[in-house]
Amino acid sequence: MPDRKEPILIVENLKTYFEQAEGTVKAVDGVSFDLKPDEVIGIVGETGSGKSVTVKSIMRLIYPPGRIADGKILFKTDEFSPGNPQYVDITKLSEEQMTRIRGKHISMVFQDPMTSLNPMFTIEDQMIETIMFHRKVDENQAREIALEMLHKVKIPDPERRLKDYPFQLSGGQRQRVVIAIALSCNPEVLIADEPTTALDVTVQAQILELMESLQKEFHTSIIFITHDLAVIAEVANKVMVMYGGKTVEYADVFTIFENPIHPYTNSLLNCIPRVDVKQDSLSPIPGQPPVILNAPPVCPFLPRCNFRTKRCEEELPGLVEVSPGHYVRCFEEIIEKLFVSTRGGQK
Amino acid sequence: MLKIENLKKYFPVKAGFIFERTVAYIKAVDDISLEIKENETYGLVGESGCGKTTAGKTVIRLLDPTDGKIVFDGVDIAKLKEKDLKPFRTKMQIVFQDPMSSLNPRMTIGDMLSEPLLFHGIAKNKKEAEKIIGGLLEEVGLKAYHVDRYPHQFSGGQRQRIAIARAISVKPSLIVLDEPTSALDVSVQAQIINLLKRIQEELHAAYIFISHNLAVVRFISDRVGIMYLGRIVEEGDVDQVFENPMHPYTKALLQAAPVPDPRKKRERTMLIGGSPNVINRPNGCFFNPRCKYRMKICEQEYPEFVEVENGHKVACFLYNK
Ligand SMILES: Nc1ncnc2c1ncn2[C@@H]1O[C@H](COP(=O)(O)OP(=O)(O)OP(=O)(O)O)[C@@H](O)[C@H]1O
Ligand SMILES: Nc1ncnc2c1ncn2[C@@H]1O[C@H](COP(=O)(O)OP(=O)(O)OP(=O)(O)O)[C@@H](O)[C@H]1O
Ligand code: SF4
Ligand code: SF4
Ligand SMILES: [Mg+2]
Ligand SMILES: [Mg+2]
Repeated sequence: MPDRKEPILIVENLKTYFEQAEGTVKAVDGVSFDLKPDEVIGIVGETGSGKSVTVKSIMRLIYPPGRIADGKILFKTDEFSPGNPQYVDITKLSEEQMTRIRGKHISMVFQDPMTSLNPMFTIEDQMIETIMFHRKVDENQAREIALEMLHKVKIPDPERRLKDYPFQLSGGQRQRVVIAIALSCNPEVLIADEPTTALDVTVQAQILELMESLQKEFHTSIIFITHDLAVIAEVANKVMVMYGGKTVEYADVFTIFENPIHPYTNSLLNCIPRVDVKQDSLSPIPGQPPVILNAPPVCPFLPRCNFRTKRCEEELPGLVEVSPGHYVRCFEEIIEKLFVSTRGGQK
Repeated sequence: MLKIENLKKYFPVKAGFIFERTVAYIKAVDDISLEIKENETYGLVGESGCGKTTAGKTVIRLLDPTDGKIVFDGVDIAKLKEKDLKPFRTKMQIVFQDPMSSLNPRMTIGDMLSEPLLFHGIAKNKKEAEKIIGGLLEEVGLKAYHVDRYPHQFSGGQRQRIAIARAISVKPSLIVLDEPTSALDVSVQAQIINLLKRIQEELHAAYIFISHNLAVVRFISDRVGIMYLGRIVEEGDVDQVFENPMHPYTKALLQAAPVPDPRKKRERTMLIGGSPNVINRPNGCFFNPRCKYRMKICEQEYPEFVEVENGHKVACFLYNK
């Protein structure tokens, strides 16, 4: 029985940079969160804000000219100390040690399903290979597990699908295969990068249901990245909002949706399109997106922020804990004003 | 502008080790008819695997149709040979669902975007192409210095915008947009949708807009078609369909749409039974095993596609007496 209180994963002030000819791309530049057994954290934020790079860093899939420049990624595991789980810092593991974590303890569903499927092999070959690599089973048992997983992700006619090549599947079917592969080794942490965008709402609901039941059954913790805030509202216990490579707000799901404080979170929630009402226009957040190439050391939301003050142009705000478990990256004196403006019902 | 009549696309299912033979067909697109005017957006919605992408690819002849007509600007292009199709190629573009797989990993964004411009003579030389590309990137919210990068150096949403830039660069009159905004945050999504609308006004282009995001479909489309197992089961003006859905499948879809409120849980048990099997489709109405209004006749005959109110058509026995 895992300890429910101690986080299984702690990310502390993570920074991942890419050196480019034009300068340094600070794709991730100050991300912090933690994840307890059983929890689902939703990561939301602008396109290009560093969500995928954050989770690829956790999987240690960052290659030169990219590098993890700073921060810690602590993962609690007994892989290196059998029977006695201890925190290891993923940023410091060797590649050999990392292969014992990746896929087995932490597995990931990538944003682009085609990139994680090999076009030259059938679904069966790919699933069996992964399962046999991580679990002590023979080929027949692996095939059984593969079939069972395809059933679980609601692929119609799974026996026949096993023989298919990736190009023979629809976008949503490919996505479900990738989810099935990630889940087939019962990881402790499942990272899902936009796992349901290629799925229609009914299949999406089924997949979310499946993830929820796995989480209950195996206490899997989930990191869920999606642009669909309605899905976040449905599955996440807590939410981390990213902007320009940084954590800008982090709290439980109710707080994020009902009492958001950061100006970016507020703007984001204001542009959700709705099915249930007719809209004449969709309004993007006005102003320029953040600079991440040679980013100046100031708040990334500055160019778009209506609340900015002189201080914002000079210093970088830290993450402030405004109430237990609710963190906001902004200056304290401004947060107080934001508090009044958001609670006063004007926003 | 575009008229599709009884379009079919079947994929053979093969079996046998030494002598491969066709044992069945996947009827991915099975008798679809629709019409799109210039300046109009036709939203195509439906369960994963129901044939939307196949329909989109077949319409612009990336796949050869099994049967049917595709009348584009008065010419039936369904059976044209590749060389006769050439003049139509620039006019018909597609933005693929999986942007990574449609971008050549070994080409920089600049080369990828200048290729069609030079090939079709839209830009006279490299210099002119560069200028056009700079403008295009700006328009989709990227930067001119991005031209020297490779696809893997971009985020998912950035890649999707590159694919959009490539499609609009040749000023087509028909664009198939297959989940073009699914990887974008709501703010950039709004920006891209506004951009698509603006380009449509400029080019008077017709769009086929495929998406699972019902809120976006509702916003951008003039007309929508709901697909189920290769056929269109309901079609109408977007407000007709969203405000007065008739087909039980459409109703289920709309009810299953998630809402951005953590205190409301959607009805997840709406659709009973698993996803249907494309090879052995049920007898009668394909939806009948999952339909709570199923009647005797539904298991025997496929309902006709009939107009119930002005321009609003549905294939269901509840409305076809
Ligand atoms: N290999 C790379 N080389 C250079 N820059 C990169 C690389 N990978 C990502 N980046 C840059 O880092 C930034 C963050 O990218 P990331 O993929 O994490 O964004 P994201 O938040 O996942 O966005 P999306 O929602 O669009 O998927 C982007 O500006 C991207 O261009
Ligand atoms: N090249 C192919 N060979 C064989 N079968 C195919 C091929 N392409 C698609 N199919 C099958 O045709 C059916 C329709 O696929 P299609 O990609 O059109 O679905 P879709 O509606 O776009 O779904 P999604 O929303 O999941 O992208 C699926 O059952 C798929 O497996
Ligand atoms: S630090 Fe300044 S610019 Fe940034 S969100 Fe707060 S008020 Fe706005
Ligand atoms: S025809 Fe019958 S089974 Fe099909 S959707 Fe209508 S009521 Fe349901
Ligand atoms: Mg991403
Ligand atoms: Mg598709």
